[in-house]
Order: sequence, then C-alpha cells, then structure tokens
Amino acid sequence: MARLTLQDLQLARGGQTVLEHLDGSFQDGAITALIGANGAGKSTLISALMGMLPPVAGRVACEVSRERCAWLPQQLALDLTFPMSVEELIMTGTWPSHGALKGYCAAHYRRGREIMARLGISHLAHRQLGELSGGQRQRALIGRTLMQEAELLLLDEPFANVDGETVEVMMEVLRDMAAAGATILVVLHDMEQLSRLADDVLLLAGGHGRWVGTEALLDHHTGQPARAPRLPIDFSDIHHAGTA
Amino acid sequence: MLALLDAWLLAPFEYGFMNRAAVAGLALSLAAPPLGVFLMLRGMSLIGDAMSHAILPGIALGFLFAGFSLPIMSLGGILSGLVVAVLAGSVSQMTGHREDSAMASFFLISLAAGVMLVSLGGSSVDLTHVLFGSVLAVDTTALLLITGIATLIVLMLAIIFRALVVECLDPLFLRGQGVRGGLVHGVFLGLVVLNLTAGFQTLGTLMAVGLMMLPATTARFWSQRLEGLIALAIVIALVANLGGLLLSFHLSLPSGPAIILTAGLAYVLSALFGRHNSLVARHRLRAAPLNTPSTD
Repeated sequence: MARLTLQDLQLARGGQTVLEHLDGSFQDGAITALIGANGAGKSTLISALMGMLPPVAGRVACEVSRERCAWLPQQLALDLTFPMSVEELIMTGTWPSHGALKGYCAAHYRRGREIMARLGISHLAHRQLGELSGGQRQRALIGRTLMQEAELLLLDEPFANVDGETVEVMMEVLRDMAAAGATILVVLHDMEQLSRLADDVLLLAGGHGRWVGTEALLDHHTGQPARAPRLPIDFSDIHHAGTA
Repeated sequence: MLALLDAWLLAPFEYGFMNRAAVAGLALSLAAPPLGVFLMLRGMSLIGDAMSHAILPGIALGFLFAGFSLPIMSLGGILSGLVVAVLAGSVSQMTGHREDSAMASFFLISLAAGVMLVSLGGSSVDLTHVLFGSVLAVDTTALLLITGIATLIVLMLAIIFRALVVECLDPLFLRGQGVRGGLVHGVFLGLVVLNLTAGFQTLGTLMAVGLMMLPATTARFWSQRLEGLIALAIVIALVANLGGLLLSFHLSLPSGPAIILTAGLAYVLSALFGRHNSLVARHRLRAAPLNTPSTD
C-alpha cells in the first residue's frame, strides 16, 4: 500500500526545471531515503510533497490528511530566540485535534510527558528551546511529530549537527513510527546511517529520480556502505523505471 | 505622612478628567503591551513606529471632514493603517523587495501626507494634538471608544494567541496544518493598527507606540518566558501610566511625554540592573562562567 505517489512529476524553481518525469510511490510503513548531491532537488521535492510548491506538470497524490503530515525542518528555519519551552513545543503537536482554541486536558499533558520520557528529555521539559543543544532540540521537534500522530513524516537532514546518542534515539523512534504504519521520507547524506535506517532509496541526479535498493549503495569490494553513491547513474531508461 | 500620600496619590483623582485619563490609560495598558511583546519577539519593534505614521493620513482626513470627532478620526486611522499595511505587503510581494523597505517608503509618504492634510485644514495646535495627544482631554465618548477597542484587542489576541505563538516559532508547521500564516499575521497587524488608533487620542499617534513597545522591551530584561513577559509588560505599562499622569498633574508637565518617559526610565533602569542580559547581569555572568545556563 502506498498513500503517497508521484505521477510524472515536474518541478521548477525560478523558471528553471529542477526535476522531471518523477514517478513512483512511497510505501506505507517504510522509511525512504532521499539522496543526491547538493542542488539535485531534494528540498524542492520535499516542498512539493508538503504542498508548498505547485508542480509544473504531473502530480503528487497524497491520501494522508493534511494535519497528519508532519515535517521536521532544518533547525535554521526556526526562530530559536522565541521564548518557548520544550513541553510547550511538544504540546503544539496537538494542533490536529485541538486547533487554535481548545484547551489541553490532563491526558494530553500525560502523553506529552510520556513522549519526553521516551526521547530522554523529561528533565528539559521547562527549558527554553534557545538554551538547548542541537541534539536536544531535534528530540523536542521529533516529540512534536509524535504528539501530532503523524502518518506522513518528512525529515530534511535530521541528523546534521546532532550528537550520536540523539541519532540513535531518533532512529529508534523513526523505526517505531514506520512499524506503526507511518510513511517516512528522510533526506540523508551519510551512507552508514542510510544503510541502517532506510528500506528504500530515491536517488536524485541530473533532474531525474531513480529508485534504488539500499544494497545498490554498498561498496562492491567491502560490502560496507559506500562513502557516497556512485554517480553518475545511467538515466537513459528512466521512463521504464520501476516503482520500487 | 498619610496626608502627603493622599495629596500626591489620591487627591488628583478627585478630578473627573484625571479619572477618565486613568481609566483610558488602564485600558490601553492591558491591550498595548502584549502586542508590543509579540512585535519585539518577531523582530518587528520598529513596525509599530512605522504603523503610527500610517494611521496619520486617515486621522487627518477624519479631522478635515468632521473636526475633532474621535470616532470618525479613529475610523479614518484604522482604514488608512490597514490600506498602507496591505499596500506595503503587496508591493513587496510584486517587486520582490524586502517588506521593510516597502513599509518604510509607504509610512514616510503617509506621515508627510498626514501632516500636510492637518496643516491644510487646521492650526499647528491641532497638529500637535494629533501627533502628541492630550490625555487630559479624554471625554466620555473617547473613553468608551478606547475601552471598547482595548477589550476587542484583548479578546482577539486571546483567540489568535496559540496560532500567533506557533507562527512566530515555526511558520511552516502552521502552514502544514492548513492555517494561512499570512492570515494570522494580518489579523495581528490589524490589532496593532487598532491599538494605535485607540492610543492616539490620549498619547498622540507618535507617543502611542511608546506604551506598546517600551514595557515590552523593559520586560525582556526580567523574564524569558512569554507569559512572564506579557504580565510584566502590562504591570510596567500600568505603573508608567499612573506614575506619568501623577507627575504631569503635580509638576504641570504634558501628560503623554510624562507617561512615556516614566516607561523610558523603567527601561533604562532595567537595561542597567535587570535579571537577564542587563549590564549588571552580564558582568555577573563573566565573573561566574560555570553557573551560566547550560547550552549543552
């Protein structure tokens, strides 16, 4: 089953086509890694999946309701000088059920505390976001998506500038979310993290996308994850590319 | 001693005009500082100033058509403030220029147009009144209008509060939830315009910004939590209002500047001695680096 599919998608930025003839579906309950060099169109694709960039041609078919779509932005997109505590941030994840007006009840606060305990940030509940390290902040942000009960989760380089322990905690959480049926799409650069996390890989290069299995990214000689995907990949048969 | 206190603090309020001025100040002190806190946190501290220029042409037009009729002048102010805000936003969207440059241009044009209009239709006394207000000339109609607008602002702010907070921190999250961030932002700017039009009668278009921004920037030196900032800013505004009024009464000073200068004094003292990021607090941090808030 796939609730998120791409149909002959063409995307452009500033009048310049970035990606074209993009097909395929993101499997439910699977983690798909989105990889490619800088400028290959990863962020453009994410914007289109979030519905923030209308396609030039083709379409993104998404059956997940809008409020259950979550996105973990790069931290630069947040105004970290704004006074908000970790608990308050996580509670904003109740937006789908509570909206702008409904008050939080005890059950939701309890759920918030459970989420913080699972992410190992209970002791930071009342700390301001601006006082946290990159890793702690990333855990708080993933806490918000847990609160949101996200069914489609898009993550843009979630492990950049994050400590090793946080990477482990987050990988575990993402795995659990996928096991519960969520569709997860994550932009990654690190091949080792990719091989541990991803079930499926969408490689973007030269304006095209290619679905490749994770094993395609292993080094032929060592069997270990390659340091970088072997590029360029032949896209001559792109129109016949399967949908993984 | 008690007699002295009574003469200084209570006796002035036996006059009706002082009572009305105090109630108007109280209403404005509840409505303006929370808006100022959000403007400050969004890095838009100077927008209030710009907006105060934007309402001037409308107030001037109202004045030309209806004389010193507060409801008409306020309506004009609200309309011209909103028109300028929308125009500035559209020009910035159409030309790709930053919004602040478009706003600066429109607000300067507004100020010049406003001053020109008032001068055409009235005397320099009228101009001074519009620019700097006259808190002691608040009549019952003005009082009703001011308290009505203040109540509306507090209610509206309560309604958009959560959306506004989320939009400040992470606008994309709100957009992902299907709420148009621009809408929240627009309503918020509308409230700022409303507040300035409520404030211009007592403090003038230029001074009304002071009651919005100074308590907010002062509170920043004492609290790092949103609720704390808002509560503190309101208290500071209340004290500055009453203090300024009493000073102007006893020392025969113009009331608007006296109120704003009282708030200004609180700002300077807080910048020197406040709990967070004041000169003294920073000095203390340097002396004890191990006790600084952990950033790990």
